Amino acid sequence: MEPNELERFEAIVLPHLDAAYTLARYLTRDDHDAQDVVQDAYLRALKYFGGFRGEESGEARAWVLAIVRNTAHTWRRRHRADALATEFDEERHSEAVTGDHPAAALDRDTARESVRQALERLSPEFREVIVLRELQGLSYKEISDVTEAPVGTVMSRLARARRRLRDMLSAAQEKD
Amino acid sequence: MTHRELELLLDAYVDGELALGDARELEAHLTECGDCARLHEARLVLSDAIRQQVPAFRAPDPLRTRVRAALRSAAGAPNTRRRLPPLVWRSLALAGSLVVAVGSWRFALDRAHGQALTDQVLASHVRSLMPGHLADVASTDQHTVKPWFNGKVDFSPPVYDFAGRGFPLIGGRLDYVGGRPVAALVYGRRQHLINVFLWPAAQGPVGGAAAVTRQGYHLLHWATRDYAYWVVSDLGLPELRDFAGLLQRGDSATAAPTR
Repeated sequence: MEPNELERFEAIVLPHLDAAYTLARYLTRDDHDAQDVVQDAYLRALKYFGGFRGEESGEARAWVLAIVRNTAHTWRRRHRADALATEFDEERHSEAVTGDHPAAALDRDTARESVRQALERLSPEFREVIVLRELQGLSYKEISDVTEAPVGTVMSRLARARRRLRDMLSAAQEKD
Repeated sequence: MTHRELELLLDAYVDGELALGDARELEAHLTECGDCARLHEARLVLSDAIRQQVPAFRAPDPLRTRVRAALRSAAGAPNTRRRLPPLVWRSLALAGSLVVAVGSWRFALDRAHGQALTDQVLASHVRSLMPGHLADVASTDQHTVKPWFNGKVDFSPPVYDFAGRGFPLIGGRLDYVGGRPVAALVYGRRQHLINVFLWPAAQGPVGGAAAVTRQGYHLLHWATRDYAYWVVSDLGLPELRDFAGLLQRGDSATAAPTR
């Protein structure tokens, strides 16, 4: 690779490292795993950088986030056996809450953390649209590019994710 | 629009994604529909709560350093395909040494050769799941994937997109199986990946596919007049057989695949 190609990559893609780490962190729910995913994703991004034609910063962000997402999903498939987590199947599990993460269980009683806990218990498909929209402010079109789902699907998935979050939070309040 | 239709548009409205005309109509509806107004209010409260309580992270400095170093070293050695980590080799070797039930191989290959090929196909599948190894050409367009193989293998593999049947094409890759370069096509099924390996050879059970299960992966193998096919996935066997059926029908529909 030409040295100035690496410089161009560093100038265009590296600034989105925080966004990449945030997405990976919520998808893996673990700092260490998120770091591994981000490093893998950036190496893949470098490999495919020749095919990236975007010009705006937003395009580079959506492009690298798509790679982070795919890397995180591959990572999840590989760790499925350890996690004993039921694989998410939208048709079968869209109304089911995935199993509690141990970290979430530890601080379940801290009211301040409740929204974050609820988010972490959402299925990955719901979690990622919430993170991309609410934390990172991506447009539906950008979320569609990142998740490889049609815009209409993004819209309905977001609506369902929020409804699910709100149900979880109101259930938590009733317990108090 | 009806109340139900407008309710479905509320999220898009809150996200500022609604076309102006629809937004006007929804705003008018909000002034007269108590249910929608409450739902709208709840959405705003939820978004506020998320932004206040769920942090966006800053990448840790050690990660920043690590990524920069990894990029430098990768950019410095462009054409060397990264070798598999030793751990993976060890686990593949271990898997190869396990005694496995081979099922009924009806084709005339000798058993040892068949097993070696099964091992290689499975190893290629597992390797393809590691980051960065899945596809050399990532495209859902069969007309992009098929020509990509020109000049890379000495045959032009039949490539179909079965997105309409729930098996979207994801891409293609050059792989090496049985001592020769082969075409690997990648398909998806929900969260599952399916690798299709094919090369010109008419050996094996023509018609019905022979099945083997190893390490939780299913392998299907059959041959047509022109090609040997291997299909590997962690997808359930019935669904994988459906997929194999699509491939077989697609292949027989092609009068004479270009060689």
